[in-house]
Parts: sequence; C-alpha cells; structure tokens
Amino acid sequence: MDGDIKKSIDLHGVACPMNFVKTKLALASLDAGDLLAVILDEGDAILNVPRSVKEEGHQVVKVESLGETFRVVIRKG
Amino acid sequence: MAEPVFDLAAYKKVGMIQQRQKEYFAMRLRAIGGDLTAKQLTKIAEVAERYGRGGVHLSTRQGVEIHYVHHSNLEKARAELASENVSMGACGPRVRIVVACPGNATCRWGIIDTKEIARDLDSRYFGQETPHKFKMAVTGCPHNCAKATENDIGVMGAILPQWQEELCTDCGLCANICPTKAIERQEQVVDGVARHAYRLDEDKCINCSICTSSCPANAWTPAATGYNLFIGGTMGKVPRLATRLKKLIGDKEELYALIERSLRYYQANGRKRERFGHMIDRIGVEKVKEEILNGR
Repeated sequence: MDGDIKKSIDLHGVACPMNFVKTKLALASLDAGDLLAVILDEGDAILNVPRSVKEEGHQVVKVESLGETFRVVIRKG
Repeated sequence: MAEPVFDLAAYKKVGMIQQRQKEYFAMRLRAIGGDLTAKQLTKIAEVAERYGRGGVHLSTRQGVEIHYVHHSNLEKARAELASENVSMGACGPRVRIVVACPGNATCRWGIIDTKEIARDLDSRYFGQETPHKFKMAVTGCPHNCAKATENDIGVMGAILPQWQEELCTDCGLCANICPTKAIERQEQVVDGVARHAYRLDEDKCINCSICTSSCPANAWTPAATGYNLFIGGTMGKVPRLATRLKKLIGDKEELYALIERSLRYYQANGRKRERFGHMIDRIGVEKVKEEILNGR
C-alpha cells in the first residue's frame, strides 16, 4: 500500500482545527481514490481528524501507532 | 435597634439564604437542567434591578442567584418571579435542583434526552427531605460533562458497541482511539488464511460512542443504548466518586425504579449530615448495591 501513497504530510504539533484544514488542503490536491499519509498527534488530533475526514466523504484505511503520534492513511473520496 | 427575627430554616428550604450581611439574602432560583426562557431571564433581570443590586451570580449547579435582596423585599421579589414561572431553588438537607447537559437534543455526542429525565426527576423528588444534601445530575454520554459521577445520583447515556466483521476494513482506528483500550485486534489463522477480529472487553468499555462515531466503515455500531446509573458521588469536604450501580439499563422505568429505591434506601439508612456516598462506604458498597438492586 505504501508504494501507492501520493502525498505525505507531517502534522505533529499542529493543533485542531488547523490539522484538519491542512489535511483537507492536502486531499484537495489529489484525485479521488489517491492515498494521503498524515502524521497526527495523540489526543484530540487522532480523535477528531479521522472523524472529520469521514464526514467529508473520505476514508481512513490504516492507522498505525508511532508512540506519541499516529500515521494515518486516507483514501480520497 | 433590635435585630429582625427570621425563620431562617424556612427561608433556606426554598433557597433564600442569609448573607454575611445579615439583613440581606441570596435568592437561589430553580432552573431545571440549566434551562431558562428569555422571558424568565428578563424577569430575573428586572427583579435583580429592583430588589437586588442589579446583578446575578451563576452557581456551580446551573442555578441563578440574586444576591443582596433585603429581607423586607423577599416575598415581593418571590411573587414577581413567580409571575413568570421562575420558582425558588433549595438549600439544606433535601433534594436539590437537578442539573443536566444539553443531551441528544443538540449535542452531537448525546445519547439520551437528558432534559426530559431531569424534568421527571425534578417533578418526583425536588425538595424532598434527605439526611444531608442530595444532588442529581443527568449527562448525555460518558464524556460526563454534567459530572454524573460527582453527584448522589448520576444518570449517564450509554451505548454498547458491536463489531461487524463483514464491514471492517482493518484500519485499526478503533483500537487506537478507544479511551480505555477496551478494543483489541486479534489475529488467527483459519484454514491457512490469516483473519483478524476486533474484540471488545465489556468490563473495560465505558459505553461511549467514540468507536461507533469514528469507524470509517461503520463496522462498529451501537447494539444497544441505555443508561448507566451511578450512586453516591460527592465533592465537598470529603470527595468521593460515584459507584456504578448498573450498566446499560435499557428501560426508563427500570432506571426510575432504581433511582427511587436508592433515594428511599438513603432516607432509611443515612445518618444526619451523612452524604449518600459516605453512608455507602460505612455500610459497604457490595451490600448496598445488592440491597438496592434486589430489595430486602
């Protein structure tokens, strides 16, 4: 799956709601079906961004814990 | 000049509390679940201007208090408030104003209709005499904004999450965001094929809806919704978090029956100025739970 990732962004240290805004902007630059990898902080970020992404019609396809951050792979809807 | 004589106990009973400036009283008003209409607020403002000092104090329990009302104006102020259906609160050893969060009427996380339950509890119990103060709170979900676990009776909206294998895409989000790590990914090889499963530990699950609302594939859904009932929580001088009496009560009548039994048990067994939770600790948590749940 990793070979298919079109774009990666690191949002470690970026607070809500800017982390979601940056995720949206990154998704906007991709085509439907493309994969985006995002590094998100534990706490509010991992709780809120995937849910907001879902509400916008995209799909979280993988979440990996990296300790204090998570690597989240999103397929653009 | 002789000091005026008041029946302080009678005043206190209806939330009229003598200030340290002995001629003046704080009028504690009754706002069930923190709700007041604009008309009621306008009337409160008028009374605060006319009989108080033009301001109000917001209490820690969603109440509105008008301070600095002279004792000679208490009954006039009370009658004016009553004209707009603003009634008095309570103080002393009795059931206090019921607090509630907004619940499922407006909150995205709300699981239950908190306001309806708060009104029901208020109409059944408000002002009833108890060994010590008795506080109730209704909170829409396990985020616990209304602090159900810090009240003598706490009602909390709850769900039981259920996992559906055929919908799951194995992204792993649920196991990573569950606040109590109640979801675990398990793997096993069946007929040479690796299969995964997400298992819920119901003892660890606090019945919130984080997994069901976040799951990208809707593989987690609420299999049941209900009420978690807590008893014996208190803050104050000797804080004690509540004991969970029962999880996921599915039926509102059962919820109300258990609240009724809890309150009656406290009235029958609590000592003077002993909070419900401290009574529970004195008698024994398991014994009290057993007796409330199964009767004697």
